[in-house]
Amino acid sequence: MLLADFLNAKTIAFEQRILTREQAYEDCINRICQQYRHSTPKCGSSFLEAILAREQESTMAYASGIAIPHIRVEGLSDTLIGMTYLQTPLDIAGIPVDWVVLIFTDKSSSKIYLNIVAALLKLSQDPAAKARMHALADGHAVITYLRQQGIEVGRDVTIADIMVSNPFCIGPDAPLSELNSQINEHKLAMLPVVDEQMRYLGEAHILDVLKVGVPDYLMMMDDLAFLKSYEPLETLFERQNEIKVRDIMQTGMKVLTPDASIVEAVYNMIQQHRRYFSVVEKGVLVGVVTAMDIFRKVIKA
Amino acid sequence: MSPALTMLAALAVFVITYLLIITEWINKMLAALMGGFILILMGILSQEVAFRAIDWNVIFFLIGMMLVISVLRETGVFMYVAIKTAKQARGNPLIIMLMMFVFTAVASAFLGSVTTIMILVPIAMLICHELSISALPFIITMVVASNMGGAATMIGDPPNIIIGSATKYNFLDFIFNLTPAIVFTTLASLGLIVVMYRKKLRVSMQNRAKLMSFKEENLIRNKRLLIISGLTVGVMLVLLALESVLHLGTATVSMSAGLLLVMVGNRKKVEQILINEVDWVTLFFFIGLFMIVESLVETGFIDKLAHQVLSATHDQPKPTAMAILWLSGVLSAFIDNVPFVATMIPMLERIGLVITQASQIDPIWWAMSLGTCLGGNGTLIGASANVVAAGIAKRNGIHVSFWEFTKVSAIYTVLSLLISTAYILLRYF
Repeated sequence: MLLADFLNAKTIAFEQRILTREQAYEDCINRICQQYRHSTPKCGSSFLEAILAREQESTMAYASGIAIPHIRVEGLSDTLIGMTYLQTPLDIAGIPVDWVVLIFTDKSSSKIYLNIVAALLKLSQDPAAKARMHALADGHAVITYLRQQGIEVGRDVTIADIMVSNPFCIGPDAPLSELNSQINEHKLAMLPVVDEQMRYLGEAHILDVLKVGVPDYLMMMDDLAFLKSYEPLETLFERQNEIKVRDIMQTGMKVLTPDASIVEAVYNMIQQHRRYFSVVEKGVLVGVVTAMDIFRKVIKA
Repeated sequence: MSPALTMLAALAVFVITYLLIITEWINKMLAALMGGFILILMGILSQEVAFRAIDWNVIFFLIGMMLVISVLRETGVFMYVAIKTAKQARGNPLIIMLMMFVFTAVASAFLGSVTTIMILVPIAMLICHELSISALPFIITMVVASNMGGAATMIGDPPNIIIGSATKYNFLDFIFNLTPAIVFTTLASLGLIVVMYRKKLRVSMQNRAKLMSFKEENLIRNKRLLIISGLTVGVMLVLLALESVLHLGTATVSMSAGLLLVMVGNRKKVEQILINEVDWVTLFFFIGLFMIVESLVETGFIDKLAHQVLSATHDQPKPTAMAILWLSGVLSAFIDNVPFVATMIPMLERIGLVITQASQIDPIWWAMSLGTCLGGNGTLIGASANVVAAGIAKRNGIHVSFWEFTKVSAIYTVLSLLISTAYILLRYF
């Protein structure tokens, strides 16, 4: 999400006058209230009091010269932002502040709020960006500038953040016995197949190994209830030195890129009934992501 | 366009489509539908005429049968009978081969050859594996049996379904006229199998014990469904036999049976059945073919061809029947027999305008049916069942080469065409 998309040019002001902290906050509140009267009916002086009360507890000014006062509005279900760029800095708890950003949030949307604060702080620590915005003197121009800079509100988690990097993998000419011992030792259900340069070639799944003992004609039958045992399956491992990984691996399977989102990975897992995906960047294997990784690291967290 | 030019254009589309179908450069359904609509785009056929040429009786009959078969498969009855048969033979490979031949032929007469092959060949391969004998002779003889069996009834092979729909002949006419011929060819083929394989198949006691341990009774999971399916198929066959009295239409009979069985057996999986069990590719292939053949009829090409055949045989029914039988037999060995029959039907209708006596035109129709269905055995590419069986074998590591198949199957083809020749000559002339 882009910070620019949270902003309304009419709530961004460039102030030439010398104001007090209260005046600056009040102007900003009024601008927001004017724009969003329908969603914040109780907008008014009570908000200023609430902000000032909060500021008594802990300062909302940061050393980089930005103040981010914040108020939670019951039932707002939105995030509203007002900005004031001051020519003459305010003095808030000894910090000279020339950029005031006022944020109205709902009681529940703390994650977005924290992400916005993080983005603003990062921006305020860049003197060139700050000077540039001060020089713009127009709300529309500020929004355009922020959009051009691609300032994001919270970076979304990608597959690269949760995948297993440097996963166990196997070469195409390795015998089946080596694949079997890797599966056994590391308790894996899938190994990516790669060449010496780690270029991704395909995948060997545990079911591909078992399928060696189950010929196609058995798979064509509607029902195997009549068959109580089948020798080729039971003696599958006797042939494990004759068969190469290349012979059983699957190729042309969907892989994920490291910048894929979590939801994209989950979508592919559900749609293709697969719990494991190789993560490939420019043809090179960079990791493996499993449904369990997603479950543990994302859903539970 | 002048009439002659229109005919040539239609013929060009027809030939190109046939080439694409035979060589399988593109999917045959795609080829047939493209050919059909190109004819409309070129103005050779109007859309109205093209759509009217589609034999909906054939299309719906096939859909109905596909629905019936999807439920019948679920009952496990085919696998049950196949395994029971092998156990009854107490693992004797020659007897298993003979019994599988008969079972494949009978099943094909009612289910169609491709379905039968897809169900029975995997079981035969398993039996051969357990008995440690080569599956290849079983696969080839079963394919031969499936094409023969399919020729025995109106609902067996697609060529007969199309002939039955296009002509006045009904289900019983096919039984009375074709089944005896097929019984003779089957008996002769069984004899040939005994001669060819008598000394070649040996099985150890240990492997026989493996086969005898199959628990085929586990396959019948739903007795209620089995009874309902059996009754439904029985009623369906009776209604088909009474077609000349009831005039329900064969498609209506098979659709009723199919819909009833799906309702009873698989209500909750209807969408899956419609997607997986109904072979839409084949159905739309037929639809495209009907449109293409219609262009040859409309432009007068079929008329010309019929006159050529008649002048070559001097309007005489006997030589015409023989010519049709052997021409169909040889051509069907190399090209798909459905497009062949679709083209031949309007031609035979024209011939019927010259040879008008029923006793003289009937044998010509039966000659074509026998020729196309039995000719399918001629080579590996002669019929869909052959190609399907070779595909199954290949996926299981058994390579069936064109010649390996053909040198065996051609013997059965020549034998069955000779028997058909004798049958037609003795019975009708």
